[in-house]
Amino acid sequence: MNKGMSEIVKNISKIVSPFIIIFGISIIFYGHLTPGGGFPGGVIIAASFVLLLLAYGREKVLSKLSLYKSDILHDIGAIMFLSVALIGFSGGIFFLNFFDKGKLFSLWSGGNLLFSNIAIGLKIGTSLFLGITLLSMIRIVYKKNKIEFYEKEEDIK
Amino acid sequence: MSLIVFPVILYLLSAFLIALLWKKYKKISSIACFSFSVLTLISVILLGRYVFENGKIIYFIGGWEIPIGIALMVDPLSFVFLLVLNFILPIICWFSISYMEKYVKSSYFYILFSLVSAGLNGILISMDFFNIYVFLEISSISSYILVAFGLKTEQLEASLKYTILGFIGSTFILVAIGLILGKTGTLNIADFTSVAVEMNKIQLWFILGLFISGFALKTALFPFHFWLPDAHSLAPSPVSAILSGLFIKITGFYPLIRIVTNIFIMFPESKFIMMALGLASMIFGALMAIDQIDIKRTYAYSSISQIGYCALALGIGGYYGYLGAILHFVFHSLSKSLLFLNSGAIEYKYGTTKIDDLKGLNDKMPYTTATGSIGMFSVAGVPPFGCFWSKIIIIIAAVKSHFYGIAFICVIVSIITLGYFLKLQRKIFYSKVENSEVNENGFNILMPMVLLSIFIFLSGIIFSPNIKFYVDKAVEIMENFSYFQIMEK
Amino acid sequence: MIVYIAISIMFFVGIYGMMVKKNIIKMIIGVNIIGYAVNLFFIVIGYKNGGIPPILISGMGIKEFVEKAVNPLPQALVLTSIVIDLSIICFLASLSIRIYEKYGTFDLEKIRRLKG
Repeated sequence: MNKGMSEIVKNISKIVSPFIIIFGISIIFYGHLTPGGGFPGGVIIAASFVLLLLAYGREKVLSKLSLYKSDILHDIGAIMFLSVALIGFSGGIFFLNFFDKGKLFSLWSGGNLLFSNIAIGLKIGTSLFLGITLLSMIRIVYKKNKIEFYEKEEDIK
Repeated sequence: MSLIVFPVILYLLSAFLIALLWKKYKKISSIACFSFSVLTLISVILLGRYVFENGKIIYFIGGWEIPIGIALMVDPLSFVFLLVLNFILPIICWFSISYMEKYVKSSYFYILFSLVSAGLNGILISMDFFNIYVFLEISSISSYILVAFGLKTEQLEASLKYTILGFIGSTFILVAIGLILGKTGTLNIADFTSVAVEMNKIQLWFILGLFISGFALKTALFPFHFWLPDAHSLAPSPVSAILSGLFIKITGFYPLIRIVTNIFIMFPESKFIMMALGLASMIFGALMAIDQIDIKRTYAYSSISQIGYCALALGIGGYYGYLGAILHFVFHSLSKSLLFLNSGAIEYKYGTTKIDDLKGLNDKMPYTTATGSIGMFSVAGVPPFGCFWSKIIIIIAAVKSHFYGIAFICVIVSIITLGYFLKLQRKIFYSKVENSEVNENGFNILMPMVLLSIFIFLSGIIFSPNIKFYVDKAVEIMENFSYFQIMEK
Repeated sequence: MIVYIAISIMFFVGIYGMMVKKNIIKMIIGVNIIGYAVNLFFIVIGYKNGGIPPILISGMGIKEFVEKAVNPLPQALVLTSIVIDLSIICFLASLSIRIYEKYGTFDLEKIRRLKG
């Protein structure tokens, strides 16, 4: 039951998913110039991991990106956002945008926005991935009113 | 001046640091949470000096001025609420250091506790409608999860009811904010007040109705109270203390004060709505609390009744009405938190909170009965404890405005309150003891309760012109101020 | 005008699903639909007839941009609101799994042990 889908699906999702991740990263990085930003970019990155989860089965995906690592990335994203807000204090006011704003329409013209977009993208991507993976590890045993977890201790560590 | 953002930042830092570093160590996470809450209390005390020198503090985030940017404001009214909130939170955290030991994953409790505190602090400092909504949601969602923390059967059902009804309240508030944005194009409270005097009256009535329904659902006034008895009686005890002592007042009652007295000043009829809701919940809460089997359910219905007193005082208006509302909020927060912590101490030793299983606590646990009795007498309105003064001021306010029937009902409800608390005391504390080998509670559980009860006792006795001077400034804000005046500068 | 009527029909469908249906999962779907209706209401508020998306292309003047573009402020508010609704639905879903374990059913009329 845990072996994933057929060979055609596995091959195609193996080819397509790096492009989805790069597309999501470009939406995050250019969030101050084009529509998007932190939230949609994070959702797209999480969606690419869920595609791999559906095609290959749970054990293979969790061996590449375990629940423990995504938990730590999630918290690093949160602390990064708070420190972006606190660094503004060095200019005198909370959340001040004091970076040098270069030419119009280039990557560096947003100042603060670049770092806060990256922080939120990290946080949303990992938390959606964690949510869907944890909800899929539950099996409701019918007629005995019990729930069981698959492989409790191995992945959660 | 930048001290104004410190309450929110310190609690958010505490939540994120505990999640990253100390998720597996229960002792370190509890001590970290306690130290951050004490730091927040110190920063709020330092902030008070600025507020009382300058009148009010307005702070613009990122340097952008008012119609474009987001602003924060602390004036003497919100400073009273901030001080009470940040005084009670470290005490509850101290109590839960030893109460939460029997739960397996207690470090998650401290993360959620810090998030609730950050949200509650954020509501009190913001001057923007959408800012209030975001902080309200942060604290509400964390409290939905905290009510279901022990994963017992009844707690899950109570949390389900609470989540659905809380979501409906938040949706009403969000639709009202959307209407404000569509009609005036601005979300700042000061800007909206100066533009709203020219709007169509019917549209303003609709927005006011949506706001009052949404916030009354968060405060549990009479027709909107259905989630409160289950959620507050079945949650773990520190969570009940936060919910019933702080949460329903700061997410529900403080925005109602702002709406009725500062923002919608063109509608004096909104005070009659508050009076009607307050009267109904006062009578209903007192009558339902008489015949309950469980201690915490009695306290939960009594919360509905006392919040009715506050809403009634807000509706009567005038100097004494507003003074009574603020004082009753302050004293009732202290007393109700003490009562819920007390029931937690009883549950820690006996394992149950039903009245029939507990007999004769006075012989084995004298300190617990003493603090419990002080809390009960304080809520019931016995002199010289706290709520006596605020109830007297509310009755004087009703008599001065020629509402003699309402003053009579206040006195009757007060007698009923004293009645069911005396019944509790007779059955639990001062009855004959059966064979049991229960000892007195430990230091970490007793000291917070003793501290709170000493504070209630002293604040009732030293009700002197000094304290009245500080509250005087807060009442003056409610009477004379409207947000219109900020835009004129 | 038609869009506002459609939004209120969606809102009432969501309220019907939340209040009348007896299964927990159908009630959660009703809650979801209410969230969608309120978000759509926010976006429609900022619309201008014949407007362009609020993105500044190089070569366009500022005055002409301000006159033609759609209001971008409600779009930022909707992003926050979507995330808040997402977390409530996620919590309700895991709560219903735990309720099934303890009560043995998804039927709302049997999950009523608390009285008074």
